[in-house]
Formats: sequence, C-alpha cells, structure tokens
Amino acid sequence: MNFSHARIAVVVANLVLGTCLFSHAQDTELKYKLKPGAAGKLCLQCHDTFKDKLAKPSIHTPLKKGECIGCHNPHASDHGKLLAADMTNICATCHKGMIPADAKSVHKPVGEGTCTKCHDPHSAPAKFNLLKGGNDLCFECHKGMGETLTKVKFKHFPVTKGCLTCHDPHASAKSASLLKDAVPALCLGCHKPDKPNFAKAHMGYPVTGARCTGCHDPHGSDRNGILYNNVHKPVMSKMCAQCHEANNSATPLKTKKGGYELCRGCHSTLINGMFAKNRVHWPILDKQGCLSCHNPHATKQKGLIKADLITTCGKCHQDTIRRQEKSLTKHEPIKDGKCISCHDPHASDNLFLFNQASVIDLCGTCHDWQKHSTHPIGEKKRDPRNKNLYLQCLSCHRAHGTEYKHFIPFPTTSDLCTQCHEQFKR
Amino acid sequence: MITRANTGILVLALLLMPLVASAAELTAPKLIQPVLTDDKEGMMKSPQGVACNKEGAFIVADSGNGRLLRYSYKEDVVKGGGEIRPAQLSYPQRVQLNSKGDMYVLDGKSHKIAHLNPQGNFVAFLEPQGIPGVAPVPKSFKIDPEDNIYILDIFSERVLMLDPDGKYLKSKAFPSPHGFITDLAVTWSGDIYLVDSTNCMVLKSAKGADAFTPLTKSMKADMDFPGYMTIDSKGTIYLVDQDGGGIIALGPDGNIRTRMLTMGVKPGYLFYPGQICLSESGTLFVADRDNNRVQLFEMPK
Repeated sequence: MNFSHARIAVVVANLVLGTCLFSHAQDTELKYKLKPGAAGKLCLQCHDTFKDKLAKPSIHTPLKKGECIGCHNPHASDHGKLLAADMTNICATCHKGMIPADAKSVHKPVGEGTCTKCHDPHSAPAKFNLLKGGNDLCFECHKGMGETLTKVKFKHFPVTKGCLTCHDPHASAKSASLLKDAVPALCLGCHKPDKPNFAKAHMGYPVTGARCTGCHDPHGSDRNGILYNNVHKPVMSKMCAQCHEANNSATPLKTKKGGYELCRGCHSTLINGMFAKNRVHWPILDKQGCLSCHNPHATKQKGLIKADLITTCGKCHQDTIRRQEKSLTKHEPIKDGKCISCHDPHASDNLFLFNQASVIDLCGTCHDWQKHSTHPIGEKKRDPRNKNLYLQCLSCHRAHGTEYKHFIPFPTTSDLCTQCHEQFKR
Repeated sequence: MITRANTGILVLALLLMPLVASAAELTAPKLIQPVLTDDKEGMMKSPQGVACNKEGAFIVADSGNGRLLRYSYKEDVVKGGGEIRPAQLSYPQRVQLNSKGDMYVLDGKSHKIAHLNPQGNFVAFLEPQGIPGVAPVPKSFKIDPEDNIYILDIFSERVLMLDPDGKYLKSKAFPSPHGFITDLAVTWSGDIYLVDSTNCMVLKSAKGADAFTPLTKSMKADMDFPGYMTIDSKGTIYLVDQDGGGIIALGPDGNIRTRMLTMGVKPGYLFYPGQICLSESGTLFVADRDNNRVQLFEMPK
C-alpha cells in the first residue's frame, strides 16, 4: 500500500468511526428522550469534578463523547454506581474478545472482571486509561518481581523496556504466563541462533528446540548470561559433554546414561549412600531419576531443586500439602516449605523417610518441651488401642495437620483423650 | 401440611429403611481378627506386604523386622507365624505366591525380586532373560494363574511380562504422559491394569492391546494416594488408599462402588495400609503398616 492509499484508508476509517459515534449519540438521545444536544453535557452539570478528569491525558472514549449512559443508567440500577451491568461484566459489553476462546493463560484481574485494578474507567494519566505507566503498574501487584529487578546484577533488556514486550496483559492463546508466544519461539524472536555468539555460548549444541527458561531467568539474575543463580558445576565450566553426547554426534542432546546412573558418575558417594538405606525415595529409581526433583542446569533454588519444596514435593504429595493447607493449626516447617526438616528426600531406613528413627527424637529437635511432657510417651508405654504401638507424638497428632486444631484427628480434645481413657467417655 | 402423597412417601421411606441399613452393612468388611505377633510373641514392625492362596496360607512381609512370617487361616483360626529370614532379604516390601506355593518377594533395599521355594529357602533373585534394554527396577510385580510374572519396571517405564522361568515374553510401555505409577494388577483373562498414584487414576490395557488407556478419570476427590491394587474374579478393582487409610472398590467399568474401612489405630481401622490380598473364599488380608499388624476381614458376600 503506498502513502496516498494509506491516507485514503485513514479518511475512510475516520468517516466510519465518526458516523458510528454520531449515530450512537443520536441513539442515546432517543433512548432517554434527551433534549437535542443534551448528551455529553447534562451529567456534567452536577458531576462537575469530572472536569478535572476530562483534563487527564487518557480519557475513556464514552466519557470523551459525553456518553455516560454507555456505562451508567441515569435513573436506577441493580448495581453500584448506577452501572448498567455488574462491575465484573460491564467492560466486556464493549471490550469483547479480551480472552481468546482457547486461552492458555488469563491474567487474574481479566478473568475476574476486575479491570479497574489496572484501568481507570474514566480517565488516567497513562495510555489506555492505565492507572500508572510502564512496569510500575505491574509491580503494584507483582511486588516480588519489582524488588528482585532492582537488586539483580544483570537485567534482561526487554524487561527494562517493559513487561509487555513479552507478556500480553490480558490473556495469551499461545503460552502460559501470559507470554505472547511459547518458549523458545518467543526468545528466538530476538536471539538469533545462527549468530556465532549464540552458538559459542551454547557450546555448539543445538538448543533451539530446548526450553530456554530451563537455564535462563527471563527477567534477570546475578549470573552472566542471566543464568539462574544456582548453576550446576559442569554448566558453569561449559563442560556439557560431561553429561551429554558430543555436540557433533547424531544425538547431541542425549545424555550418556539414563536416570540416576548419569548422576552417579560424579555424585557416587551420595548415591551409594542412598542405596545402603532400606528405603530409597522412589522417584530416584525411575526414568527421570534425580531430575524428578532437580534441574540439571540451573535454578533459583539451592541444591538445584526445581522449585520451592512445597511445589517440588507437592507435585507428587498433593494430598499431604492439601491436608496442611486445610489444617487449622499450621506446622511451621511445612508452612515454611522446609520438608527436609523431618524427611530425607533421598533415602532413609525409617518410614516416611524420616531423618531419625524415633519420632519422639525427631519432634524433639524443635519441641524440647516434650521431654518433660506430663503425658507418658516412649517405647515402654504401650498404646491401649493397639499393643503393637508405643505412645509417641503421632499417637495423638498428625504432623501435617487435620481439619481440627493442634493437629489432632478428632474435633475436640476430649474426643481424642477418650480414645484411650474410655472410662471418661460421656 | 401433610398431603396424602407426602404420607405415602413417608411410609415408603420407613419401609425401605431396614433395607438401606442392611445394604450399608453388606458393603462393610467385617473384622475377623488382627494378627500382631509371630509364633514367639515377637511383634510385627511396619509390615508392608501380605500374600494369600486358596490353601489358606498367608505370608506376611514383616518389613521393619526384615523377615517373612508364614501363617495359615483355616476354619476361622489363624495359626503359625513361623519366621522365614533368608540372608538375601533385608527389607521385604511385597510378596506374591505362585500356584506351586513358591514365594516371590520384592526387597526394598536391593530392588530385586527374590524367589523362595515353598519351604522358604532362597532359590535365586529373578533375573529376567532376553529383555530389551536395561535391567528392570521393579516397583511392584504380580503373578497370573499360569505363574507368568508381570514386573512394574519404573526405570524403563514399562510392564515386563516373563514366563514362570523368567524368560521375556513381551512388554507394554507406560502411557504418556503419566504420573507416578506404583502398582499393577492382572486379571484371569490377561488384562493389565496400572494405578497412577499421583493422579489417582486407573489405566487398562486389554490382553491383545499394545497400549494403556485411562479406565477412570482422576479420583482425587475420593482418595488421597492409591498405593496398591488387586482385582477379584468378578472384575472388581480394589485400590488401597495408603494415605487415606481405606480401600476403594471400583466396578469393572471404573466407576466407584464404595469406600471401605477408615483411618485409625483401633482394631478394624487402618493406618497407612500397604499390600492387600483377597482370597477366593472372601477373606481380605491387609498389611496394616503403621499399625504394625496384619488384619483379616470377611468381605461382604
């Protein structure tokens, strides 16, 4: 299209839009039988503070045109602020299609219809009626991200340019996390793999099909190349071939061995120690092996754990995490995601992969009061309900919580006590 | 206001009440007895496995004590409790009996399946012959009526089928994607079932089929962590809800029929149950791990 064609197109578009707005104003006047020319003026006679709003740089089109009744009913409404529809639906009456039919991710405020978390429905200092301009608006909610980005040594350039470089603020039909495209396609839009620097940085391995965010923090980090802060030693020293086949082989990304066998090459003491125990955490023995919980390249977490322990452990132990979430009393180590305070994530001779053979000793590492507890516990005190059990902390408490207080499995303390002390049952 | 129609409904409900009550009783297994000790009054410790046969024998994998215990249950009496302690087994977790009374035991420490003769003497570790790929890492295993052995190989994500001598017959790959698959079951007709514990799902592969397909949707709302599975001669699937302390029965179509037993410590309750065995005569044996006992129940007829 040449320049004159473009000009014609703009003129036509303006004419169409002008005609639409004019006819809409006419419709409004007809609908409420307003005096000719009253639309756009009448409301402001009382709502004179709107003169200030109208002075702001970005004004919502209906307000600009005096179409208050585009959103409000001038007489009566079932909704607050005389809105013509529910607050969570009213924007969608005009702004249709904000969420694609097959959306892979939706921004929470958009899904909930709380558009006013980001937009002022009347006017605002920033473009698109946004309450704030640039990343400041995003960091209002995503505080952690904002704080991290002020601290990190190396920032990803597009982040400084604006979150919307990579993210769609409303919804994405292509990817999770509101990304405009899936990884790696999104990354490859800027990072060209045919550039010599790209190949050199990746040691000549064909990584264009890999998930870039498996190693790189897309926002920024303290590591060169914005690698996550905890990097596996062979990756740091660019010794990919320690685990992978040679970069010029037919299957360069294939690992030299499968499962835990690969890791045993370097971590033999740790792995041999695991196999000396009665109970090995089963995922270590499956196809993924150590990678069930660890990332082999780089992560945010210490010990190259894939994510925080609640997320990592909760991937399989969802029922246990759910129990804790529902529990009226929270057990500190679980609340803080310190599963390894009590459990050995690799192997143990004890049930539940406990760190210690005795539950009393285990609980006693934090709860020293149990040593002078008045209720008898210990191997010599048999459980009256089952003589094969001795009384210990878990005789009365469930460590991950219950729907009742104090981790007890009964609604009241008396219900618990009368399990054994039946003579006091009422 | 009570109308004639309302009165009719009320009368009908009163008449049906005893029937409903008896139906509820029918779905609940009745405790026969807990078994707590060996023949020398030594206590069981964290038993994870139990196998039974039609002759009335039942073998307990007394995991915490690193041994097997042999009992019999005949004419409503439990006898025995003699110890079997081969040096090659240090942490028995699952036990199965073949038609000849041979014992096969999964050892949690060596991750091997040990073959013991009916007297309890160690014969050999099962070394599958002619299998493609690397040696299996068994999470569980089952034996069919023809004594073929089915190994749940979690390292290579497959079910290995071996003849009674350990020779490779064929294998079936786990479905993709899948969660953590912890057990399998084999029917008389040769269908294989898997239980995906993290997704609380059952998958099935019919005898002639190559792949596993979901038999159920996720049943997370109905159970916590199904850790063991067995199927009776009518095709009823029993899932042991390890973390929820119960047993869930599914119809052959995968629909939930009932949930049986409850978490607890007293006799008749379960606390982190492991393996179960259902005898042809309708006795349910449960390795009640964290209660340090095996419990015998009479299944509803």
